[in-house]
Amino acid sequence: MSKTLMRFTGVGGQGVLLAGEIFAAAKIKTGGHGLKTATYTSQVRGGPTVVDIQLDEKEIYYPYADDGEISFMLSVAQVSYNSFKDGVRKGGTIVVDPNLVHPTDEDRKKWKIHEIPIITIAKEEVGNVITQSVVALAIANTMMDAIDKDALIATMLSKVPAKVHEVNKVAYALGEKYALEAMA
Amino acid sequence: MATREVISTGNELSAIAAVDAGCTFFGGYPLTPSSEIMHVISDLLPKIGGTCIQMEDEIAAICSVIGAGMSGSRALTATSGPGMSLKAENLGLAQMAEVPLVCVNVMRGGPSTGLPTRVSQGDIKQASNPSHGDYRSITLCAGNLAECYTETVRAFNLADRFMQPVIVLLDETIGHMHGKADLPTVEDVKAGIVPRKKFDGPADEYFPYQCEATEPAVLNPMFEGYRYHFTGLHHDKNGFPTEEIETCRKLIQRLEDKVMFHQDEIESNEEFMCDDLTGAEGEVLIIAYGSVSLAAKEAIRHLRADGIKAGLFRPITIWPSPAKRIKEMTDKIKNVLVVELNIRQYTDEIERASGRLDIEGLYKVNGRAISPHEIVSKVKEVF
Repeated sequence: MSKTLMRFTGVGGQGVLLAGEIFAAAKIKTGGHGLKTATYTSQVRGGPTVVDIQLDEKEIYYPYADDGEISFMLSVAQVSYNSFKDGVRKGGTIVVDPNLVHPTDEDRKKWKIHEIPIITIAKEEVGNVITQSVVALAIANTMMDAIDKDALIATMLSKVPAKVHEVNKVAYALGEKYALEAMA
Repeated sequence: MATREVISTGNELSAIAAVDAGCTFFGGYPLTPSSEIMHVISDLLPKIGGTCIQMEDEIAAICSVIGAGMSGSRALTATSGPGMSLKAENLGLAQMAEVPLVCVNVMRGGPSTGLPTRVSQGDIKQASNPSHGDYRSITLCAGNLAECYTETVRAFNLADRFMQPVIVLLDETIGHMHGKADLPTVEDVKAGIVPRKKFDGPADEYFPYQCEATEPAVLNPMFEGYRYHFTGLHHDKNGFPTEEIETCRKLIQRLEDKVMFHQDEIESNEEFMCDDLTGAEGEVLIIAYGSVSLAAKEAIRHLRADGIKAGLFRPITIWPSPAKRIKEMTDKIKNVLVVELNIRQYTDEIERASGRLDIEGLYKVNGRAISPHEIVSKVKEVF
């Protein structure tokens, strides 16, 4: 499998950092190489945050995704979407929360844009807004077919307290369901 | 040597390394992008009976670490550029009094408060002489996740060997990136610890600063029955202030010579894809360190795919610089490009070591990383 480049963008405090960490760790545990690198502003909560995730079979040196080569981006904040969308290659996939991000008509011609209300799903269907990062994780992995699902879920569960395992499993299943529906 | 795989960030690995290397004291004041070091070690140290204190500022932090070093402990502080500026005076005190300690600087944009969350390598020159006066800084620079661990361990061993502060430079990128590191086992790290020298003769025959002209002081830990004096003033064999001409000269000359006579124990560098460089026309030598070397390695992959024979020289010990090896490499290869996240801070040293004024440079100071593509373009443009 060739290199997978993904980018999660949001604003500080939304949990996008953790989602990237889970991806990288799961890839390493399955024998490959994974790197997560985040950039954020000095305004940690509320400032635009971007997480680059690289998964590869061979050693990865440069820790950031090359702009113009990213195949998947997920965005839950307009400010971050505007700043980082141009890193996605033409024809690449972008998932946005339609309540928070409004792509232009031109954007829709350039990229495959899916609208999934990630925050609402986490808040109302899972019942815990913090699980939005796991919903996002499930959407990314389902659309990109990046990592063995069981390995990813196992890594995710290892990073959250036992008392919220069930709710995070529900979040993953919902993310997967919405991703499959969007792609259908 | 056996290794173990750890998934972590550079900052976390640096904190874990300190504890594995026998550090029992951390005094700090959290500063982005170094804060995770304090965060992690504040959890680790109490579990092994160590101490982590958040002091009221960076100056107090380095002072507490000097105190811990005087009492015989392996002690650490961590900060970023603005904190280094505040610590400068007391880093000079530790150089003068010959107190071992380790100071990790996770570099961010500067000068002043600069770009707190963005990457930079702007503290390279500062690290060579943080305070006034003559002494030789020992500065190590991690170029990947594993080295955030191994160079922190090495820093503690060098600090005790040479009885002085050792600076470990990380940068925001390497401190925060999260991935796999193959590390030596804790047993091997512990087996590699050489405790600092101690005088065990009669107390009235103990003169801590009376030592060979190229060796460090032998400072017994406080509270063990050996009396002597600590001061930032020029001092005699007992540590008491003096202006005696020859004693003053010998002291400062020794601070220089104890490092420069033992460079072979301190120097370290990596040569990546340099084996097949013969000095033929068209070959390219890239010189980079820290996180920039990661972009350089990726760039070399691309350049070689395009038929350009390129290799990387990466200093790991930044100060004193591996000048002899730099000279050998730059004598052999004509096309040399230094890539750094500052303006010429190490290029000046490469020019000094190589004796050449035709070294090319690629510099960036906007808080963003240099990408492999930028390096590839620069190589194709200038050579």
